[in-house]
Amino acid sequence: MDVRIKRVYVPMTESAFYILLCLREPQHGYGISQKIRELTRGEVIIGAGTMYGTLSRMEKDGLIVFVREEDKRKLYQMTDLGAEVLGLELRRIDRLYANSRGETFNG
Amino acid sequence: MAETKTLFRFFTIADYEEEEAWLREQHREGWKMLRLYPPGFYVFERCEPEDVVYRLDFPQSGIAEGDYLQLFRDYGWEYFARWLGWMYFRKPASEADSEQDSEILSDNASRVKMVQRVALKRLIPLVLVFVLIQLPNFLSLSEFRSSSARSMLFVLSILLLFEIGLFVYCGVKLRRLRNKYGGGD
Repeated sequence: MDVRIKRVYVPMTESAFYILLCLREPQHGYGISQKIRELTRGEVIIGAGTMYGTLSRMEKDGLIVFVREEDKRKLYQMTDLGAEVLGLELRRIDRLYANSRGETFNG
Repeated sequence: MAETKTLFRFFTIADYEEEEAWLREQHREGWKMLRLYPPGFYVFERCEPEDVVYRLDFPQSGIAEGDYLQLFRDYGWEYFARWLGWMYFRKPASEADSEQDSEILSDNASRVKMVQRVALKRLIPLVLVFVLIQLPNFLSLSEFRSSSARSMLFVLSILLLFEIGLFVYCGVKLRRLRNKYGGGD
């Protein structure tokens, strides 16, 4: 993995994390935001500008890819690179979680 | 035809939060913004007083505008004006179900990125034009000794001082916005 990608996305913002997580399946911007609301019971709400900016950056960096259009809305999905980045992030979160419970992280 | 009014109000590139608040206030008093003529003439139309949230976005250049506007529409934002890269949106406060939902930028990382875009795409080019074009012109004019050149020089120097003041104001204000959103050094 590119050093730059790792530097920019590990760790990533909460918005980026949830967006990437939702793109394990094809989804459009507003659909992603609705899904995140549902997952977090409305605790995480991602604004239209933040959503648009994050999607364009992730597409440019190859973490997600445009798959098809539905009703004039672009659907994106996570790429292999995106899955790799998400994996690193999930491992980091597991570590934080284990350590916060006073446990030693075993990778 | 509905009654209209035009107000003059000058907001710099660093005053977008004040501009949003002012437009919201106007709408609350029953004046809905229609359009904007540079450098600061705002045309309003009489409407029912309502609490409507106004938001200005300064997106990256080269966006696919259709997709961008579609996304904002999905979120319930009405796009109604634009000016030099700034996009104007509004949404009735009653349609936003939370404080967060009335924001277009929902985290500090994206707020800081927008401040950086404004500085890079608007402030820096203006300062460059000033330093590379206006200032050399001014200095070459100052070599003339005639009285008409003198009086022109006087007017120009006031203009230049005003511009320098504006640059300093915008620079300081953008820096303060960046720090407010945790993007400081």
